[in-house]
Amino acid sequence: EEDKEDESEEEDNDPRQNRAPRRKTLQRKNNDGKTTEKGVSRKRERDKMASTKEQRDSENKEKKTNKEKGKEKENKEKKERRSSTPSTSNSSDEESLSEEELAMLMEQVEQKKKLISTMRNKPWRMVKKLSMLREAQAFVEKFEGALGKGKGKKLYAYKMMMAKKWVKFKRDFDNFKTQCIPWEMKIKEVESHFGSSVASYFIFLRWMYGVNLVLFGLIFGLVIIPEVLMGMPYGSMPRKTVPRAEQATAMDFSVLWDFEGYIKYSALFYGYYNNQRTIGWLKYRLPMAYFMVGISVFGYSLMVVIRSMARNANESTGEGDDENFVFSWKMFTSWDYLIGNPETADNKFASITTSFKESIVDEQESNKDENIHLRRFLRVLANVLIICCLCGSGYLIYFVVKRSQTFSKMQNIGWYERNEVEIVMSLLGMFCPPLFETIAALENYHPRIGLKWQLGRIFALFLGNLYTFLLALMDDVNEKLAEEDVLRNMTHWTLLSHHNSTGNGSTATPPPLDPADVPRGPCWETTVGIEFVRLTVSDILVTFVTILVGDFIRACFVRFVNYCWCWDLEAGFPSYAEFDISGNVLGLVFNQGMIWMGSFYAPGLVGINVLRLLISMYFQCWAVMSSNVPHERVFKASKSNNFYMGLLLLILFLSLLPVAYTIMSLPPSFDCGPFSGKKRMYEVIQETIELDFPLFVAKIFSYVANPGLIIPAILLMVLAIYYLNAVSEAYQRANAELKKKMQMLREEEKNKRNNKTSTNSAMQDLEDIFKPNTKSENQPKQVEDKKIEPPNKSSPVGKQGKAAAEDVGPVNGSRGVALTPPLHMVVTRPPMPGVRTPYPGPRPHGPVPWRGRGYPRY
Amino acid sequence: LSREDFQRIPELAINPLGDRIINAFFSEGEDQVNFRGFMRTLAHFRPIEDNEKSKDQNGPEPLNSRSNKLHFAFRLYDLDKDDKISRDELLQVLRMMVGVNISDEQLGSIADRTIQEADQDGDSAISFAEFVKVLEKVDVEQKMSIRFLH
Repeated sequence: EEDKEDESEEEDNDPRQNRAPRRKTLQRKNNDGKTTEKGVSRKRERDKMASTKEQRDSENKEKKTNKEKGKEKENKEKKERRSSTPSTSNSSDEESLSEEELAMLMEQVEQKKKLISTMRNKPWRMVKKLSMLREAQAFVEKFEGALGKGKGKKLYAYKMMMAKKWVKFKRDFDNFKTQCIPWEMKIKEVESHFGSSVASYFIFLRWMYGVNLVLFGLIFGLVIIPEVLMGMPYGSMPRKTVPRAEQATAMDFSVLWDFEGYIKYSALFYGYYNNQRTIGWLKYRLPMAYFMVGISVFGYSLMVVIRSMARNANESTGEGDDENFVFSWKMFTSWDYLIGNPETADNKFASITTSFKESIVDEQESNKDENIHLRRFLRVLANVLIICCLCGSGYLIYFVVKRSQTFSKMQNIGWYERNEVEIVMSLLGMFCPPLFETIAALENYHPRIGLKWQLGRIFALFLGNLYTFLLALMDDVNEKLAEEDVLRNMTHWTLLSHHNSTGNGSTATPPPLDPADVPRGPCWETTVGIEFVRLTVSDILVTFVTILVGDFIRACFVRFVNYCWCWDLEAGFPSYAEFDISGNVLGLVFNQGMIWMGSFYAPGLVGINVLRLLISMYFQCWAVMSSNVPHERVFKASKSNNFYMGLLLLILFLSLLPVAYTIMSLPPSFDCGPFSGKKRMYEVIQETIELDFPLFVAKIFSYVANPGLIIPAILLMVLAIYYLNAVSEAYQRANAELKKKMQMLREEEKNKRNNKTSTNSAMQDLEDIFKPNTKSENQPKQVEDKKIEPPNKSSPVGKQGKAAAEDVGPVNGSRGVALTPPLHMVVTRPPMPGVRTPYPGPRPHGPVPWRGRGYPRY
Repeated sequence: LSREDFQRIPELAINPLGDRIINAFFSEGEDQVNFRGFMRTLAHFRPIEDNEKSKDQNGPEPLNSRSNKLHFAFRLYDLDKDDKISRDELLQVLRMMVGVNISDEQLGSIADRTIQEADQDGDSAISFAEFVKVLEKVDVEQKMSIRFLH
């Protein structure tokens, strides 16, 4: 055991040393060991120092143990050795150490610290490492306090202690944060049953929940709460009161379900907010806050999505063509090691089998000749059909929205007419994707490509639907705007007439008209908000009902009715449902898009979404575990991550557009909302700048807003983008070059190891000149200057001649400059087999059959 | 720890390569693995951190480097430890992964095809370097890492 031999060394080297102090040292070491035992075991995980307790032994003992420890270290350490033990004078200086002692002490402490931090990499045995570690830690603990001079001692020790405590605190906090991640166990369970691709959906869902929570916090805290706490209460103003005509039915559930009635006139919607510039005793600027929160919702979402994309891009090692190693990859990487459930493992077996069979079939098929023209025709036909479907669905939605406008003017409308738009959109979303899939069977694509097409088409479908919906809504808005003009006059006249009628003959101020009686303008923003909320709610309902019926009821049916059914329900149709990852992810993405669009007009929408995501998490986890079966097909999860983020980003931009358009170019309603009375919504910013900020700020802004300044700024940003793009491309190219280099290195090594001749074409030519009857595999390569090239390998005796040519090293065939030295060499020294030819520079002597890596010396 | 203890882990029990993974923990001829050996094997799965790449260029490569991870995987397939995966070894693996659902000749042709894809020096076996080349595009650093604190 090395410990013993070290100790014996110690004894040998220090014969004079009496046992007592060493025993004391050992004892102290043991004491420290014991007391720091717990600390040591904790430190196993962290490679930092223990939390200190300040120990102040007497200076004498310190110096002595210092000396001993110095000697011990000399013997034990294999790294730097201290040549001199500290020249500690045994004269007792209780108070201070001299300068050099201090410096040396500090050095020693630093050494010990370094030893502690690199302990893991040392090639020692565990027992020895443990003892060294304990000793070093004890030393550090004891002497750290001794550093620092005089009064500074205490401060220094204190600082060190605080630093260590801070590190420990950070570590504990990290652990705590990890424990706080919600739903981790649930997701792990799903992962072990269904594989990593299904779990990735749930991770995405959790991430979305986090984002929505932040957005909700923003909106709730900065807009809704101030309004509720400090704004005018319900019923005080016309905009905040249910109009007289509707009051009779305002509490009916059916009315509430449609988000009319009391809900419409609440803080959940745009129309409730007052346009008072400041409210409450805090002088909280509500309109400004509303505007800024609306903008920052988009800003925050953008930032979060892009950051997540960047992080994903870092992790992925680049998309290459993966058709090269199909079978090898299937062989080596197809098992999902995270599966822990036997049933899933059986499924995985089956899916691996299927995937091998598929690959075999693919191979056979690709070797077949096929009719390219037929295939192209079919693909074009399929695309035409699908475009027809998309257009058809778009028109259908437009038609339905138009109809709903006429419905809203009628009196007796049934439930169906009221909700027709949402029903139609949900139905389209449910039936069109399978339709696309069946049409896509015509196309005969590779499944992965087919999946991408499918996702793209579903995306187009949803997008088309959404935008058609928006267009129809815009028509509605414009109508309302026209109506407003008319109503504005009417309201004005009504108020006037009311004043006249009540003020006739009395000088007292007329009683204000009851807010419920004031004729109200159509509040288009609230209407828009209501539409979005209803759409979201119906989407939620449809999703949940689909899961319930499509998965759960189906599973129950298959399980229980199977006993008395003609064919095997579990194996054939309908069997258990698989978890539709892409459909669910797209649904989530589109839902988020609608939230983004609607949150400006209905601040309460984000709250509804947060609730929905929460319920969705639990509900879908339960549904997956109880009624779904794992996938039949292999689905590589990692690559698709950025794809979904990209979709999210696209949706974010697309949902920003309508909101930005309405903010910039539509006039707000005259009697509802925080911007009422202004000509445009963004005027609130100008107002704030003028009134709230000191004068020069307004001037600065007016200068900055000058087009002459903005256009160069935009140009600059464009140039910066171009430059960064070029830089990143250069890096990618450099990356590829390095990879190639490494690859060639490996091949060179492998060739040498396999005892082959040089693989360079130039060398090949040379060899052919001298040994025309030899043959070898020729792999022409481009070799640039390799510093770490092993040219020193000399082949066995029989090929001494080749060794001559070879040992000069692989040379770049394309560069004429590098070519000349070997030629020169060969010319001056014609190789003769069997004769060892001396070469300039360090060369291996003798016919050494194998040489490891050498260093190139040309 | 003995082999039976490992086999009680469900994920290992149902893994077709489970036995080989368990063998990788035990050194030659031993039936028990102590904590150090256990840790040594698990150290292969530590995530690679950026700052680790810069230090310790002189010392031996850390156990969780990409090459060592791949080496660990390679040893799972190379049973006779001759640094090559031969056709027979591939056949064994295939049979474990697929069972009896595919005929033997098809398995043979799959193995042949795999070797054909991966082999570069024509020795009808997959050496370590070829193995590395095959898995070049696979994100081994991430996939073969156990992230405890994420």
